[in-house]
Amino acid sequence: MTARLPLAALVLSCVAIGGAYALAFLPGGAPPWAAWGLILGSAGALAAMMALGATRNGRLRPVALVACLLTFGVVVIAFGAALLLPADEGPGARLLLGLPLRTAIVLYGVGLVPLLFLPLAYAASFDADTLNEDDLDRVRRAAREREAMRGRRADADAPPGHTP
Amino acid sequence: MSASFLLAEAAPPAALRQPAIIGVALLYFTAVALIGAWASRRTRSARDFFVAGQGIGIVTLAVAAMASTLSGFAFIGGPGLVYSAGTGAVFIVLSASITNTMGAWVLARRMRLLGEARGLITVPDAIGARFRSPAAQGLSAVALLVAVVGYMASNFLALGLVIDAMFGTGLALGIWLAMLVTLSYTAAGGILAGVYTDLFEGAVKTVASVTVFYFVLRAGGGLDGISRAITAVDATFLGPWGKMPALSALSLFFVFGLGALGQPHVAHKFYMLRDPRRLKWYPLLMSAAMALTLLLYVGVGLVMRAKVADGALPALARADDATPAFVLGFTPSVVAGLVFAGVIAAGMSTVNSFMNIGAAAITHDLPRALGRRVGDELRWGRVWTIVLSLAAVVLAQLPGAVVAFLGIFGFGLFAATLVPSLAIGLNWKGATREGAIASIATGLVLTLTLETCAFLKLFTLPAGVTISGLSLVLSVLVFFAVSRLTRARAAAQLDDDVRVVMEV
Repeated sequence: MTARLPLAALVLSCVAIGGAYALAFLPGGAPPWAAWGLILGSAGALAAMMALGATRNGRLRPVALVACLLTFGVVVIAFGAALLLPADEGPGARLLLGLPLRTAIVLYGVGLVPLLFLPLAYAASFDADTLNEDDLDRVRRAAREREAMRGRRADADAPPGHTP
Repeated sequence: MSASFLLAEAAPPAALRQPAIIGVALLYFTAVALIGAWASRRTRSARDFFVAGQGIGIVTLAVAAMASTLSGFAFIGGPGLVYSAGTGAVFIVLSASITNTMGAWVLARRMRLLGEARGLITVPDAIGARFRSPAAQGLSAVALLVAVVGYMASNFLALGLVIDAMFGTGLALGIWLAMLVTLSYTAAGGILAGVYTDLFEGAVKTVASVTVFYFVLRAGGGLDGISRAITAVDATFLGPWGKMPALSALSLFFVFGLGALGQPHVAHKFYMLRDPRRLKWYPLLMSAAMALTLLLYVGVGLVMRAKVADGALPALARADDATPAFVLGFTPSVVAGLVFAGVIAAGMSTVNSFMNIGAAAITHDLPRALGRRVGDELRWGRVWTIVLSLAAVVLAQLPGAVVAFLGIFGFGLFAATLVPSLAIGLNWKGATREGAIASIATGLVLTLTLETCAFLKLFTLPAGVTISGLSLVLSVLVFFAVSRLTRARAAAQLDDDVRVVMEV
């Protein structure tokens, strides 16, 4: 997977959200399905940003890819279920872990489930895919080269006989 | 998040003036003063003042970032919003399960490495280095300044109200005291003092939140009991979107989700980490700290609504009374003291970050944007910290509605101006300085214009559309569109060392 895909997904997500907002300006307000624009757009924007950040040298490694796809899926499924399932939050409502079913799916699904895998996926892939000693050496070498080049430029620009 | 939640009086003053509550608050102030004195002795350079000498550990970073992210809104305004809007209010914090890992992947590593490679000390510094553009650096500094002063004013007012309620000082003196305490350690110890007081304040907030949540479950008969009491009388309050339309709740999720990448008080802290390889544990630590500290946000609003629903309590006169009423009525006074210390901690930890960021924008970023350098950045950083604090205190004395207006658009303004140029810009080599400048200008102008028009009631946006969401979407799209149009210049605008940082 290259960096182009997260970028395209991010643009499409923002367009979907913009579209949902535009529909809200219609006389009579946004149609009910406009919420799907925000669901897909929000989930897409967050997953795409993560994928963009996790991409190295134009490649997204498997652990990060799975984490991003899972995040997108969890958010879309949880919000989608809240839209599609029948409302049952009145007296005698069926509770799941102390909350009405649709609300439990949203709050536990979006608010808790990503906590169970995202930080672990980040930590698990950190040494191999995010930052290792070789990466640090490379950055520090590039910084030293830049400083050396600036020093040489300063020397060249200095008037004759001047000691920096 | 804005602290405008406390523009109404926080709680009945007499109820707060209990020895245990005042004692805990005084202990808190003493601890903050000691940390400030310790840090001020260690602050010897501009680098110490603005980036803590790049010497803090990962636990300190994570807890301090959490503390400055969750302002007093998390303890007072948030629970009040849950009490009045139900589940919909939780959408403001719902994305926290994702944003910390997202921030680590998108910003943490690149900011930290760029900071080391270039000796950067501010967020606009990173934008300037990425696009080799003093103009982009200066424009982003202007956006930061606009939001920072408003944030500071609304937080000073909120802190002043709490101090007045606890000590009976009167509002004006309460505001000045809040400013003087925060200023004393921020001006002396800079962000070094700020970050270690944030660590202490974050710990206070977390302990207070977990403790209060225990009393929430006890008072409500568990989550089942709370839900049964509410659903018996109100079928929408505990629906998936609460009292909001689905579009409004989802819009909050989007703004606070993607917008989290544009919060300078968090991004700035990545520069301060001693060992960048410790970032491995940042999402885990930050997410855990945040999840625990948000228990109060969700729990108190729900249990208070349940108590009103089953007739145990009369309806609250003001939604923002939910936390004060709960802790005074259902917890021991020491816990109440801890919560009010937590509220003060939340306000002060947010303000000290903004004092530092604002001072850096004036001392460091704006002069560089104009091709100049300030000789002694440490001294001028301290001077501007004082000047900005005085300006914010003067603004805080304005009518409450004006102060609320100043504080309310901060998050959205940061998001619309910084997410494209900073978060996307540091991860996409095809971005251009023209795209960055256009997106920052779009975010700044749109947010200020629309928020001002809305404040003056010149128009009302339809349900589900937020100004911050609209501005964020448009600034991102402008960033992509202008970068695409000027893509031939992208490669030439990228220095070699910055390219390496973007490639690792």
